[in-house]
Amino acid sequence: MNTIIEPFKIKSVEPIYFTSREERIAVLEKAHYNPFLIKSKDVLIDLLTDSGTSAMSSNQWAGMMQGDESYAGSNSFFRFEETIKNITGMPIVIPTHQGRAAEKILFSILGGRGKYIVSNTLFDTTRANIEFSGAEGVDLLCEEGKHPTISAPFKGNMDVASLKKFIEKKGAENIPLCIITITNNSGGGQPVSMQNIKDVKAICRENNIPLFIDACRFAENCFFIKLREKGYADKPVPEIAKELFSYADGCTMSAKKDAFANIGGFLAMHDEDLALKCRNLLIITEGFPTYGGLAGRDLEAIAIGLNEVMEEDYLRYRIRSIEYLTNKLINAGVPVMQPAGGHAVYIDSKQFLPHILLEQYPGQALVAALYIEGGIRTVEIGSLMFGKYDANGKLIPAQMELVRLAIPRRVYTQSHIDYVAEVIIEVFTNRNEIKGLKIIEETPVLRHFTAKLKPV
Amino acid sequence: MNKHIKRSWAEPYKMKMVELLKMTTSAQRKKALQQAGYNTFLLRSEDVYIDLLTDSGTSAMSDRQWAGMMMGDEAYAGSWNFYHLEEVVKNIYGYKYVIPTHQGRGAENILSKILIKKGDVIPGNMYFTTTRLHQELAGGRFEDIIIDEAHDPDNEFPFKGNADLNKLQRLIKKKGAKKIPYISIATSVNMAGGQPISMKNLKELRVLTQKHGIRIIHDMTRVAENAYFIQQREKGYQNKSVKEIVKEICSYTDGATMSAKKDALVNIGGFLAVNDWDVFEEARNMVVVYEGLHTYGGLAGRDMEAMAIGIGESISDDHIRARVGQVIYLGEKMLDLGIPIVKPIGGHGVFVNAKGFLPHIPQNDFPAQTLAAEIYLDSGVRTMERGIVSAGRKSNGENYYPKLELVRFTIPRRVYTQAHMDVIAESAGRVYEHCEKIKGLKMVYEPKYLRFFQARFEKLN
Repeated sequence: MNTIIEPFKIKSVEPIYFTSREERIAVLEKAHYNPFLIKSKDVLIDLLTDSGTSAMSSNQWAGMMQGDESYAGSNSFFRFEETIKNITGMPIVIPTHQGRAAEKILFSILGGRGKYIVSNTLFDTTRANIEFSGAEGVDLLCEEGKHPTISAPFKGNMDVASLKKFIEKKGAENIPLCIITITNNSGGGQPVSMQNIKDVKAICRENNIPLFIDACRFAENCFFIKLREKGYADKPVPEIAKELFSYADGCTMSAKKDAFANIGGFLAMHDEDLALKCRNLLIITEGFPTYGGLAGRDLEAIAIGLNEVMEEDYLRYRIRSIEYLTNKLINAGVPVMQPAGGHAVYIDSKQFLPHILLEQYPGQALVAALYIEGGIRTVEIGSLMFGKYDANGKLIPAQMELVRLAIPRRVYTQSHIDYVAEVIIEVFTNRNEIKGLKIIEETPVLRHFTAKLKPV
Repeated sequence: MNKHIKRSWAEPYKMKMVELLKMTTSAQRKKALQQAGYNTFLLRSEDVYIDLLTDSGTSAMSDRQWAGMMMGDEAYAGSWNFYHLEEVVKNIYGYKYVIPTHQGRGAENILSKILIKKGDVIPGNMYFTTTRLHQELAGGRFEDIIIDEAHDPDNEFPFKGNADLNKLQRLIKKKGAKKIPYISIATSVNMAGGQPISMKNLKELRVLTQKHGIRIIHDMTRVAENAYFIQQREKGYQNKSVKEIVKEICSYTDGATMSAKKDALVNIGGFLAVNDWDVFEEARNMVVVYEGLHTYGGLAGRDMEAMAIGIGESISDDHIRARVGQVIYLGEKMLDLGIPIVKPIGGHGVFVNAKGFLPHIPQNDFPAQTLAAEIYLDSGVRTMERGIVSAGRKSNGENYYPKLELVRFTIPRRVYTQAHMDVIAESAGRVYEHCEKIKGLKMVYEPKYLRFFQARFEKLN
């Protein structure tokens, strides 16, 4: 059967508003060609992020109504804690208002000047938090992961040989943490294999470096393991997840992704001393350890969502629907990251717009074109997000120039996705008319959120 | 005046949804208390009957707020709920620029990091735990400039939240205005027992600070309750609405941090508001790192919507009259039983004077912590210590010895009924009857920051 049937039906809807091309051109100019500055009412299909944009289930909404809003010792916290302990096998669970707060706390403790935090690929806010602490973030992605069109099953893997070399060069004592992002968001939503996690763990153990998992999309990653890795085809996803987490000393999670929540995150770990330090910081910026800056109802919604996300009917639908859009684009000749990732389709804008110089941000130019053509909001993951300047003020471009179409969970129908494909193909046909952009205003950290641009 | 309030505090709402409570036995409570190390923060909420730990985030939302929750726009950028919130803050409070944060301490963190330089002094009308900590972590030092009356639980001065202008003037002379990035002014001063600041005092502060080019930053979490006291007690405000008074208060300040979990009737959320574009821009860049993009600040869209609606409800005269009326009802019941409480009765809770309640227990043996434990043991009512444990230690390691050693009976908004208030007063009365037999506590675990949250105690023999 080719049809992807959702293992749910719609219980509540939210209207979306149509705009004309002229209106969108005016909106984009006013937003300085930055999708983060567009008002959501001016967006038809919002693929800016899959973070916090999920549709919750009726069960989660029922949980919301049962939120225990006690400041201390809330029942909702104990249900949240129990669920995460069960999934990860980690005995200590610390809620935070979202994932970046969990990272912030972890890196404030482990980071600092002269330290290196190694990863397969760090995401934007993760990297910013590491650099904020004075430490340096180092991406050690496997070679196949760096080439959008090469197809391989686990393009999110960490390069084990480079990891070894890096440890020898810098000394294990200067590497307080190794963190693996599953799935690898900046690298195309590509999964990491169980074998790779085992191999990385072995090196970390030898060198006494704690291994953490950035678990935002752990269920999607585990389902890829089930589909693609030998020996896992018959294992249920919760079992795969448990094995995966068993190799880690801790994890951070933004529950806004694979927990179907609109807000929330957590830290989980084994080390009681580290947890004590984390809780001390938590209280300062987040909240008391049994609510961590979240309403009780949000703790409930996360706990319920974490169990829903591991259901295989859902994961099959989720992965298949990303594949559906990816394949439509491949058939039309649009250069996309292959194979399809877990939560998004990534267009390779270097190939899409070869006539635009990297200094003129081809990714952002494509983002602008997609909005004007069809009111679709996407995000650049390339030199605007990760680029830096050298001493002469010349752009050091990012490794890849991707445009991410992140698909919110349980929100859009097949018909919406067909529309998205049509718009992209239309833009692809007229790609030679697209012009590059230049930055007219930017901030030193996380510039892509607020940068202002204009056409060259 | 009090008699009048007593008769007319009937709530301007009825119940639409309820949450079931569990009753516990004395033996269960004894066990739960031991497991919690005699710290009410460490009790599980299922072991609590009436929860007066805090009025923060514990309000019952209205049906309109719940309807707003269903209208949450969860877009990562440009959610319309943000624009609604922005408009409400501008209209009602009058601040120009708004940045949402996941709660009040998120706003304090960002503001302190932007405005405070190492070696700065921040004067304020009494410390608050998280506010002072953020000032210290940013390299500053807090200096208390509240009037002396605030430290005397029996003094009935109507505006015990006032700042002492002489203290401020002396401080400016000693340190120089350049070392004072702003003064931190709370409305309805929590640690003083929910005591209001007068409009007259605020105006005078404005004149003095303007002369020296010093900002006033407003800790506005209970501004509506403060406004109500001004309406009731200050000359010239009897015929003004709480809404008008709130706006006037804000107009004498340059910016604010808000925990919307109090006055604004939400379970989560806060914001930073400023009038100064440069500060706003810096804050907007910083909020991304700590909280979230500046159009959601770490909140779900629905929570911004609930906040926007809650702010509107919080400044209604009928709402505030019932709110403060209920607190005063409880306070007067306790006074009738002879229990020593902070006077006048504050806006968000009744503060029992533990030094007066347990005069035989020295401050080093934690009389307020002890009393909170005893109240729980008696009836399952959970209260909070606001004394030596909360005050913590100075940077040189010495304990602060606050003059006020209080147990706070904080009343959540729109949650408990008059019958619940009666149960609470009766329990306090019962404990008071055998107060001389109660023994103090010793601290057996002390965390580095904000120790009151997680400290553990044992009973003294």
